[in-house]
Amino acid sequence: MNDAPDTPSTEREEAIFHGALQLPDALRAEYLKHACGSDPSLRERVTALLKAHEQSGAFLKEQDAPAQQKTIVISAPLTEKAGDRIGRYKLLQTIGEGGCGVVYMAEQEEPVRRRVALKVIKLGMDTKSVVARFEAERQALAMMDHPNIAKVLDAGGTETGRPFFVMELVRGIKITDYCDQNKLSTEERLNLFMQVCNAIQHAHQKGIIHRDIKPSNILVTLHDGVPVPKVIDFGIAKATQGRLTDQTLFTAFEQFIGTPAYMSPEQAEMSGLDIDTRCDVYALGVLLYELLTGRTPFDAKELVQSGLDQMRRTIREKEPERPSTRLSTMLDADLTAVAHLRHSDAPKLVHLLRGDLDWIVMKALEKDRTRRYETANGLAMDIRRHLGNEAVLARPPSNFYRLQKFARRNQIVFVAGSVVAAALIAGFAISTVLFLKEREARKRATEAERIQATLRTDAERGRELAKKELELAQLRPKYQEISQLLGTEQFDRAEKLFKEIPDRAESVPFYQVFGDLHIHFEQWDQALTNYAKVVEYAPSNHVGYIGIADVDANRENWQGARTNLARAIEVAPAEHEAYYKLGSLLVHTGDLEGYQRLRDQVLRQFGGTRESNIAERTAKEFLILPPPAADLVTLSNLTEVAVAAGPQSGYWPWFQYIKGLTEYRLGHFASAVDWTRGALKAARNVPFRNVGVYAVLAMAEHQLNQVDEARAALAKAREIAKSDLPQFGSHNLGPDWNDVTISRILLHEAEGVVEGGGTPSAK
Amino acid sequence: MSDVTRILQSIGAGEKQASAQLLPLVYEELRKLAASKMAHEAPGQSLQPTALVHEAWLKLAGNQGAQWEGRRHFFGAAAEAMRRILIDNVRRKAAQRHGGDRQRVDILEIDLAAPGPDDELLALNEALERFEALDKTKAELIKLRYFAGLTTEEAAVTLGISLATAKRWWVYSRAWLFKEIRDMESSTEGNKG
Repeated sequence: MNDAPDTPSTEREEAIFHGALQLPDALRAEYLKHACGSDPSLRERVTALLKAHEQSGAFLKEQDAPAQQKTIVISAPLTEKAGDRIGRYKLLQTIGEGGCGVVYMAEQEEPVRRRVALKVIKLGMDTKSVVARFEAERQALAMMDHPNIAKVLDAGGTETGRPFFVMELVRGIKITDYCDQNKLSTEERLNLFMQVCNAIQHAHQKGIIHRDIKPSNILVTLHDGVPVPKVIDFGIAKATQGRLTDQTLFTAFEQFIGTPAYMSPEQAEMSGLDIDTRCDVYALGVLLYELLTGRTPFDAKELVQSGLDQMRRTIREKEPERPSTRLSTMLDADLTAVAHLRHSDAPKLVHLLRGDLDWIVMKALEKDRTRRYETANGLAMDIRRHLGNEAVLARPPSNFYRLQKFARRNQIVFVAGSVVAAALIAGFAISTVLFLKEREARKRATEAERIQATLRTDAERGRELAKKELELAQLRPKYQEISQLLGTEQFDRAEKLFKEIPDRAESVPFYQVFGDLHIHFEQWDQALTNYAKVVEYAPSNHVGYIGIADVDANRENWQGARTNLARAIEVAPAEHEAYYKLGSLLVHTGDLEGYQRLRDQVLRQFGGTRESNIAERTAKEFLILPPPAADLVTLSNLTEVAVAAGPQSGYWPWFQYIKGLTEYRLGHFASAVDWTRGALKAARNVPFRNVGVYAVLAMAEHQLNQVDEARAALAKAREIAKSDLPQFGSHNLGPDWNDVTISRILLHEAEGVVEGGGTPSAK
Repeated sequence: MSDVTRILQSIGAGEKQASAQLLPLVYEELRKLAASKMAHEAPGQSLQPTALVHEAWLKLAGNQGAQWEGRRHFFGAAAEAMRRILIDNVRRKAAQRHGGDRQRVDILEIDLAAPGPDDELLALNEALERFEALDKTKAELIKLRYFAGLTTEEAAVTLGISLATAKRWWVYSRAWLFKEIRDMESSTEGNKG
C-alpha cells in the first residue's frame, strides 16, 4: 500500500506526541524539552496538540455503539427532479446523465420564455476536481461560436453552490439515426459529415479537443427543413493550454468505459501520452466509417466483452477492414439492408466506397497519428475533392505504388502492423504481421523460428552465451522499433536503425526482409549483402540462396544463379520456389537434359498440388517447351487447379495466361485464343506477362489460319518486348527475370511459327 | 459483471485511475438504497449508516470476498459520498434559513454516523480537507469511521493496518483536527455575524 508520505516534521511531531502521552503530566515538560531539542516551533505544535487532546472531550467521540448515533434531518430530496427550480430555470425533465452531471430540459422564464438544456453537477459530486472539470467544460463551450456547435447561454450555481450552465436545447436525433431514418444517400451523408468536421475544426482552433466524438454527441436538427448537425457535450473536452492532470486521466478512463469503439489508439494506450487534436480526427474517421457502412471499424460489443487488455490491444494494433471490404464480407441480407438505408443497392454501394472513400477513411483511422489528416478540415477537404472528382490526398504513399506496379508477385512480403510473434529469439518476441502473398514466405518465418530455436538451445549452454542473452534483451526494443517502421513502410528509417545492430544470427528474419525489399527496389548490391548474411547465419535456410540467385540472374550470371538455386533445392527440397526458377534458366542456357530431369522431378513432387499458385507456376515452367504427352496430362491438370481459383483471384490474368498456353499445347487453338484474349483484358498491363500472352495468341491465330490477327499479335508482342521488357545482354533483367525469360522464349517460338512457316507444335 | 466489479478488478490489476470512477457509482448506489429504504419505512424510522454502506457493498461487489484493494477503495468512496451528502444537506439548510428560494421539501429522517451539530460538520469538513493534504491515509481513517460508520476494527482491517496503529492514528488525528478547528474559529472570531 502506498501511503502518502508524511513530511519529515509531522512524523517527528506525531512520535513525540505519542511519547508524551505515555508519560504523566509532571514528566511531560521535561520530555518535550529533551525531544524537541533546538526546535521551538516543534515544541509549540506538540504542546498545542496535547492541549487539544486534553480538551477535545466528545469531539469525534469513538463511535463503537450504534445507539450513540444521532439523528439528522435531510430536508430535501437527494437530487433535483422535474418541477424543481435552479436559478431562473424550471426543470422539466431529465434528458441525460453522466457520471458526475445531469442534463435537464428546462424552461427559462425571463427575460425571454424559452426551452433550454441545463447541465448541473449531481448532488454530492461537487468535489474540487469535478467542479474544475465542469468549469472547464463551460468555458470551453463559451469560447465557441459556430452554427454546428451547441451554444452556451448562461451559467451559475445552485443555492448550495453547485455549478450549472445552460445551453441551447438541441432537439434532434443522433446523426446516424437521422441518416438511416431518412435513407440519406452516401453523398448526402458526406455533406452532413463535412459540417461536423467544420465544427470540430472550429473547436480545435479555439484550443479545445473534444475527445468524445460519437454519434450520440452529434444531433441533427431541422432549421427550415434543412438538416443541421450540432455537436453537443464537450463534457470531457480538454483545453490544449492546460496540462495533463489527474482529472484528465479520470476522464480518459471514463471515456474508455463509455465509447471504446470511438477511442483512438493513443487514448487506448493511456500512458499519459499527450492527446492532441488528431484523436478527434480518428473519431471522425470512425464516424465516417459508420455513416458509410452502418458499422464501426471494430464491433463495439466484441470490444467490451473481450476485456480491458484485449480491447486496448485491438484498438492499438489490429488493422480494421476497409469500408468496401467490410461491406463485401457482410451477409447478403445485411448488405442489402445497409445499401437500402443509403438509397442504393449492394453492388453500387460497394463500388462507390471502393477507392477514394476507402482511402480517406483509412487515412483518418491510421494507428500512427502522424499519418492521419492533420486537421478535421483536411479530412473535410479531401471529401470535397472526392465529391468534385478531383484527386484525393489520401492515396497510398508513393512507394506503395511502386510495390504495386512492379510487384514481384511471389516474393513481396508486406510487413504491416506490429502484432503477433513471428520469430522467437532467445526468449523474446518480435511482433510483426506478415501479409503474405505467397505461402512460401510464411514458411520462411517458421524456418527462421526453427533456426532461432536451435540458437536458443545453444545459448543455454556456455557461460559466455549468458552474456549474449543480456545483449539480446537489450536488442529487443530496437527490433520492435524496426518492425514498426517496416510496418508503416518507412523503409529507409528502418534500415538505418537496423544497420546500427552488429551482424548476428538473430537478425536473419530482417536480413530476409531487407533483402526482399532491395530486390523489389532493384538495389542489387544491397540485396546481395543482406542475402549473403542470411546464408552466413542460416545456411540451411533456402531463402538466402534464392535471393542470391535472383541477384545473379538479374545480372545474367547464369552459372551463379544455377549453383545457388541448386543449393536452395538441396537444403529445402520440399520448397517449390527454387525449382520453377531453375526451369526457365535451364531452357535459356540450353541445358535441355537438365530441364527434362528437372521436369520429371518436379512433376513427381508437385504434380498433385492443390495450391493454385504453385500449380500455375509449375505448369508455366514446363510448358515453355512442348512437353511429352504423358506430362501434358499432368500439366493440364495443374492448370485446372489454377483456373479453379476463379476470376476473383488477384492472379486471374496469370491463370488465364497459363490456360491459354496449355490449350495451345493441347492443340485447342480457338480456346487458346479466347483465354489469351481474356488475359489481355487485365486491369494492369504487365510487360513480362503480356509479351508471352501475345506470343501465344499469335501462334494460336496462326494455327487457325488467321494470318492478319497472328501478325498483329506478334507485332504487339515485339513492340512491348522492345520498349518495356528488359533485353538479354543488358545484365539487368529485373526482379521478374524468370517471367521475362519465359516471355522471350515464347516470343522466339512465336516468331518461328508465324514468320518461319513453322509447322504446328508437335505433341 | 457489474460495472463496480469490473472497476474493482481494474484496481486490483493496478489501474490507478479506476478509483476515481468508483465514486459516482457508489454514490448512486447509496442514494438509490437510501431512497428505496425511505420509501418503505414508516416515517420516523431510522437507518443505520453502517448497514447501508455494507448493504451497498454486498450488492455491488458480490460475494467474491473482494480483494483487499477493492474493499478499501469501495469504503473510501462510500465515506466520501456520505460526506458530500451531509455537507450539501447542511449547506442547503443554511441557505433556507437565510431565505433562499422556496423549495418543495420532503422531510426524511435518517440516522447517520457521528455528525454532531451542523456547525461542527462544516468546520470538520474544512479541517479535514487540510488534513487530507498532509496525511491522506490518516484522513482516510477518519472518513471511514466518521462518515461510513466503520468501527475501529473494521477500519483497521480495511486499511490493512493493525488495530493498535489504527488507535494511535485516531488519537493523533482527533487532536490535530480539534486544534485546527479551534485555530480556524479564533481567526474568524471577529467576522462572525
